[in-house]
Amino acid sequence: MSDAPADRTDSGTAAGKAEGAGFLDRYTTRALVAGVTVAAVVALLIAGLLFPDSIAGTLSDALTSRNTLAAALRLSVPIAFAALGGIFAEKSGVINIGLEGLLIISAFSAIYVADLTGGVWVGFAGGVVASTLLAALFAVVTIGFRADQIIAGLAVWLIALGLAPFASQVIYGSPNTPTVATSPSITVPVLADIPFFGALFSASPSVYMLFAAVFGSWYVFERTAFGRWIRASGENPKALDTAGVSVTRVRYAAVLISGVLAGMGGAALSLDLGQFTGNGPTMVNGKGFIAIVAYLFGNYNPVGAFLSTMLFAGLDAVQTVLQLQGIGIPRQLIRITPFVVVILVLALVGRTRLPEAAGEHYETEE
Amino acid sequence: MATAVHLDGITKRFPGVVANDDVDLEVERGTVHALLGENGAGKTTLMNVLYGLYEPTSGEVRLDGEPREFGSPRDAIDAGIGMIHQHFMLVDPMTVTENITLGNEPRKWGGLAVDRAGSREAVVDLADRYGFDIDPDARIEDVSVGEQQRVEILKALYRGADTLILDEPTAVLTPQEVDELFDVLTELTSQGKTIIFITHKLGEAMRAADEISVLRDGRKVGTVDADATSQEELAELMVGREVLLDVDHGTAETGEVVASASDVVVEDERGVRAVDGVSFEVRAGEVFGIAGVDGNGQSELVESVTGLRTPDAGEIRFRGEDVTTASRRQRIEAGMAYIPEDRQDRGLVMEFDLVENGLLGSQHGRELASNGRIDWPKTRGHAEAIIDEYDVRPPDADAEAESLSGGNQQKFIVGREFERDPELVVASHPTRGVDVGSIEFIHERLLELRRQGVAILLVSSKLEEVQGLSDRLAVAYEGEFVDVVDPDETTEEELGLLMAGERPGDDGGGGGGPAASEGGDAGETESDAPTELTDAADGERA
Repeated sequence: MSDAPADRTDSGTAAGKAEGAGFLDRYTTRALVAGVTVAAVVALLIAGLLFPDSIAGTLSDALTSRNTLAAALRLSVPIAFAALGGIFAEKSGVINIGLEGLLIISAFSAIYVADLTGGVWVGFAGGVVASTLLAALFAVVTIGFRADQIIAGLAVWLIALGLAPFASQVIYGSPNTPTVATSPSITVPVLADIPFFGALFSASPSVYMLFAAVFGSWYVFERTAFGRWIRASGENPKALDTAGVSVTRVRYAAVLISGVLAGMGGAALSLDLGQFTGNGPTMVNGKGFIAIVAYLFGNYNPVGAFLSTMLFAGLDAVQTVLQLQGIGIPRQLIRITPFVVVILVLALVGRTRLPEAAGEHYETEE
Repeated sequence: MATAVHLDGITKRFPGVVANDDVDLEVERGTVHALLGENGAGKTTLMNVLYGLYEPTSGEVRLDGEPREFGSPRDAIDAGIGMIHQHFMLVDPMTVTENITLGNEPRKWGGLAVDRAGSREAVVDLADRYGFDIDPDARIEDVSVGEQQRVEILKALYRGADTLILDEPTAVLTPQEVDELFDVLTELTSQGKTIIFITHKLGEAMRAADEISVLRDGRKVGTVDADATSQEELAELMVGREVLLDVDHGTAETGEVVASASDVVVEDERGVRAVDGVSFEVRAGEVFGIAGVDGNGQSELVESVTGLRTPDAGEIRFRGEDVTTASRRQRIEAGMAYIPEDRQDRGLVMEFDLVENGLLGSQHGRELASNGRIDWPKTRGHAEAIIDEYDVRPPDADAEAESLSGGNQQKFIVGREFERDPELVVASHPTRGVDVGSIEFIHERLLELRRQGVAILLVSSKLEEVQGLSDRLAVAYEGEFVDVVDPDETTEEELGLLMAGERPGDDGGGGGGPAASEGGDAGETESDAPTELTDAADGERA
């Protein structure tokens, strides 16, 4: 019979590594990483049970503590929100590496507005608005004026990195803001008493909002026409255009949504602590970039992005516990574990398939 | 019968070019109309006018007798016109159903969700109605090119198209898929759809179409009934006779072999063998011509010879050395000149002036550049010498290449290449889209070089040109040379048959030609090349 499909895949592999035939391999690599992680954790837990006094024991204690899960959830909020935002933008064809900047600006604005008005939720909204405005600027520059997305994204980061501590310095006389009130955590009766998983039911409101956002994003991509348009806009904008949908509008909408989501992440980050700290890389400290890794590792799937965020956040939580307990390994080494894992994951899953038209400008014909 | 589409006196001018010149076209409802012509004859431009991508400079589009003006393809789609482009407008990771319904998704829950069951049903219904064989749930990246094309057609039908324009639909298909496509077209017309089908392949036009309109140089040269024409007639209409060459090129005093190819195989992007085991040699002082309808592997072969592409198998030798994998630079320095078929894409940098364009290919040479520095005064002198010697107008070395007419651009390229003192000139369609005066000028220059003992490899789809200039003439068909003939002792009719893949005195017997290799692969494909063309045409109309 026709051997056209075979031809196609063959040439696909030859032409672009990230295309066609790599489909299966990609999933095996991902499965492998996930499998090794699970196996390592299981092995560790068993070792911990057998030798409670060893390093493995300390580690498994840290892993099974509900405090660790609670900490992981708290840490994952800003990262996962930013990752969801990144998915929207990148699926539509606009690579938004300015997520870090969006987190910073919203983290600061949320505290500032909360401090002004005294309302935590007003502050939250203020953070979201600030981030969305910055995302809108990014959208105008990249979509309207066709600037390079990477450079514009870096600009967004640098603007926020400079602006937020500077504004704090001007307003409060220090890069760190004073503390504001935080919102109490929401506890579901009974369920919150479950060992370990109880942490899921006694958490800050932002954790529940994150769950809703993950589901909502998944729904948009899988079930709505708008989600399809976003995908088409990032894969083959010309096809979308000839189908009668404005690529420009879809991309603007997607980038603005990424601003809203990243803004929620940033606002949640600072409001959970009640303070914005602006020294050095600010309190955001690379979470926006880890978010990019998370959604790549999650293969642009909102749920996948959330789970990989939990992996990084979990490691971060464990390393914090370990730093406190002291297991004979220098602190500095422990502290870098999450970043080492990020690099390993990136190296292993380096073949994530980017949307075909990501990073490319689109111009309608005559 | 009713006229579904009527183009009345369409003229489309681009700066410096008349792409369509007063073209009339009438297409009956429920028929397949082929638009036949060489590359650059203006077929696609004409259809882009109909599809609303271009506004005509003058002339009128009428659908069912009503004058229409299309500002954009969307207007044309709304008026029931669908276009299936050569490059599919599909989203690879999405499914067939998602692609067909994209932008017009059936909704439910007040628009909050796509009605996925409903979309699928609509697509399945549509496919059933026209007898399309598709899997609605397959991803585009996993299905064959033929199926992708059917998806494109369904996409147009889903949007309510009555008239379908197919731009070179067979270019990307395997022979079996071509058969399937033609079945689909028959089914569509039987249900009242009108089809316009752009092609440069004579056999396909005759096989699939009811009527054939031939375009040449932007003008329509005739509309014929597919039943009442022959490939020879079509070839003649297509290629034309505007230049009657009466060059006495005398007998060739050929020297040693300058360049040769042996068993060259080139696979194209689809993995199909565009060049399938071609061997030839070109001697000093002779013109070796390659005739054939476009798209029979000539471009790929030329690219292998000139170093733009590495053949998948076989060997290319130049001046006694194996240059199969040598770079362009090495080949240029060894004395290979190249007149590319697409002068605007390969021959010139359109935004550069002639001084800079004259330098191209010589930027490493000692004469115009040394130690990494370009000697601009010398380069200017070089460009001015070409302009003067090759009668490039206007004679202004500072003019940007794009401001020149096609003929003058071509003369400049010819001059630049000939001034290299080449041992071999590879001339690919050297007079395509060039005015008559320049054509003759270029021909004379080519023959003059030949007299000086330069070897010339000439590729052209213009019969008169290859026949008039060549000392030996090969005819390419489906990636092979059907035959190598003496052009002076071969009639145009014989060449026409060869161009259609038929060997004289060879009834599919053997010789390792296309007939032998193709015939072996399947019993089901009894209508295969090269007899396919005439046989199928007869059979379909019997």
